[in-house]
Amino acid sequence: MFELVQALNDSAEELKRRSPNPISLNAGCELFIAFVTLFPHESDNFAELKKELEQQGRKYAAEAISFRDKIAELALGFIKDDSVILTHSYSRVVLKALLHAHKTKRISVYVTESRPRGLGLKTYEALTAAGIPCTVVLDSAVAYVMDRVDFVLVGSEAVVESGGLINYVGSNQMAIIAKAANKPFYALAESYKFHRLFPLSQYDLPTHNPNILSFSTPTARSAGQDSASTTVASEASEKSSANKGTSSSPPERAMTQEQIAKNPGVDYTRPDLISLVFSDVGILTPEGVSQYLVGMFAG
Amino acid sequence: MYSIRQVVGSREAALETALVLRQVVSKARFSNIQQLIAVIREVGRRLAEAQPKEHSVGNTVRRVLHNVREEYNSATKGATGASRNVYSISKFVLQGQPRKHTGGAAKSEARITLKENDPSDPDSFARALKPVLMEAIQDVLDELETVYDNVSKNAKDHIHSDEIILTIGHSKTVEAFLKSAGHYRNYTVIVAETAPSYQGHEMARSLSAAGISTFLVPDSSIYAIMSRVNKVILGAHAILANGGLFAISGSLLAATAARAHSTPVVVCAGQFKLTPLWNLYHEHGALDFADPSSVLGFDEGKLVERVDVVNPYYDYVGPELVDVFITNDGDHPPSSVYRLIKETYDDDDHEL
Repeated sequence: MFELVQALNDSAEELKRRSPNPISLNAGCELFIAFVTLFPHESDNFAELKKELEQQGRKYAAEAISFRDKIAELALGFIKDDSVILTHSYSRVVLKALLHAHKTKRISVYVTESRPRGLGLKTYEALTAAGIPCTVVLDSAVAYVMDRVDFVLVGSEAVVESGGLINYVGSNQMAIIAKAANKPFYALAESYKFHRLFPLSQYDLPTHNPNILSFSTPTARSAGQDSASTTVASEASEKSSANKGTSSSPPERAMTQEQIAKNPGVDYTRPDLISLVFSDVGILTPEGVSQYLVGMFAG
Repeated sequence: MYSIRQVVGSREAALETALVLRQVVSKARFSNIQQLIAVIREVGRRLAEAQPKEHSVGNTVRRVLHNVREEYNSATKGATGASRNVYSISKFVLQGQPRKHTGGAAKSEARITLKENDPSDPDSFARALKPVLMEAIQDVLDELETVYDNVSKNAKDHIHSDEIILTIGHSKTVEAFLKSAGHYRNYTVIVAETAPSYQGHEMARSLSAAGISTFLVPDSSIYAIMSRVNKVILGAHAILANGGLFAISGSLLAATAARAHSTPVVVCAGQFKLTPLWNLYHEHGALDFADPSSVLGFDEGKLVERVDVVNPYYDYVGPELVDVFITNDGDHPPSSVYRLIKETYDDDDHEL
């Protein structure tokens, strides 16, 4: 039994190393390992138990597919006719909820572009293809658009023990703006995304590393002068325009790969900014999430 | 069938509902549990539809259904137990770690033998189960009977000597709560008169008759006097799953004024007011309107022709404005109301 858990832990580590985005993966792994260790069994031999566990795992994986439909159904009650919804980036469960709502209600959606990966455009395409009026807004235009919006709907990488949310970067600012504008901020999360983690700040996330937000020593000798930053930027833009080939129009400014690498991929949203968490176990207040996590992992 | 309109007040309606259901169960013929549940549901639905704004009716039906299932499950456990040891991951997520069974069900009372769908004697199931079911419904009734006492049981711990309390409307629960505290403490109550129904007048009369120092103020002065108030105590019409509540109009004004002065807001209500509803479309009151003539009577004939008069009866008070709910089942913050609802009712009864 001990060996099995050991093996599970090792393979979870391995999976984590290979995945670019370990947080939600980790949540799932921990759930299964906790389940295995606590599984009440009467079987006498190990092979039987192993088979049983394997069966349970498969069964859950099969069930898990239906969780998004369940969440979409729960969220439907909160979407009224003629709602204007703001969402962030691309999330399969949000997409499902929106498409489900579109069947019975008139909705329109603002989706953020979600730089640097631009996944918002993927959401945009899927929604327009389904006939939902949709507009892509800049990540920096969230505050501008907020007054037009009825509520915010985001997916999640993980929901943590404090009831807070880990999601694609930009969710936190969206939640802060929603709070300031007094708009509900709803998070959708399948229950296997409940993660046993208690981050107190952005920098406690497992994805944070010293490189993120670090300062580089300026390359220009005239550091301290006003021109320093602009030279770096124009150097970068020269490089990018050189890549594209010749163009007579003024070069477009974009971040270099190194500059993007210094930025976080996900951020943490405090529980007090979240109105409700929709999950396949029901509609929960952020505090409710921690209750489920304590039920599974504590004791 | 049963006219709920004759019954006024949430608790009365809840009591009446429980009585009706008791009668239904005692008369019903059923040979398995599904039939019985269907019968109760059917009656419950008709009762709830008779007065859809009175949430306590539906709540009582859900409560009875919950108790009936619980009794049924505990009665049948002896027969089907042991073999039911399926434990899946989704169950693990829902219920947390498996509890260790405490030495089997070593209850001394003799188990009733239950035979469902017995073709030779279809009534045997009903005959065996009915006494337990009646007891289960009686529990609901008893709880409703004692709700005021249990809510106000700890009143003296919430109200301290020389405090100034503000309340609005005439909630029976709040009235009992304040009177109970009055036995132990010397304190002052300011009652807002609650236009246009002026229920506050009745409340003030009743409190001062009980020997509590009472002031009656117009609603418009709530904000001005809030700086002197130590606590705001509100009654509720229904408590919603998100921790918000429907309360007599004027409550939102009082709660918002309290928030501006950081004055605690306490809500007193029985458990039967917990409603498995989320505030979805009711931001502007509970969409229940009272007689507009109390705002602008027909003696103002010329004016009545030219203006629309509305008299919303309830306010929706959001969870962020409430500090604590005092119920007959203990004190709870708004954020855990949804959990109470999960414990009190079965999920599949939310829609009757």
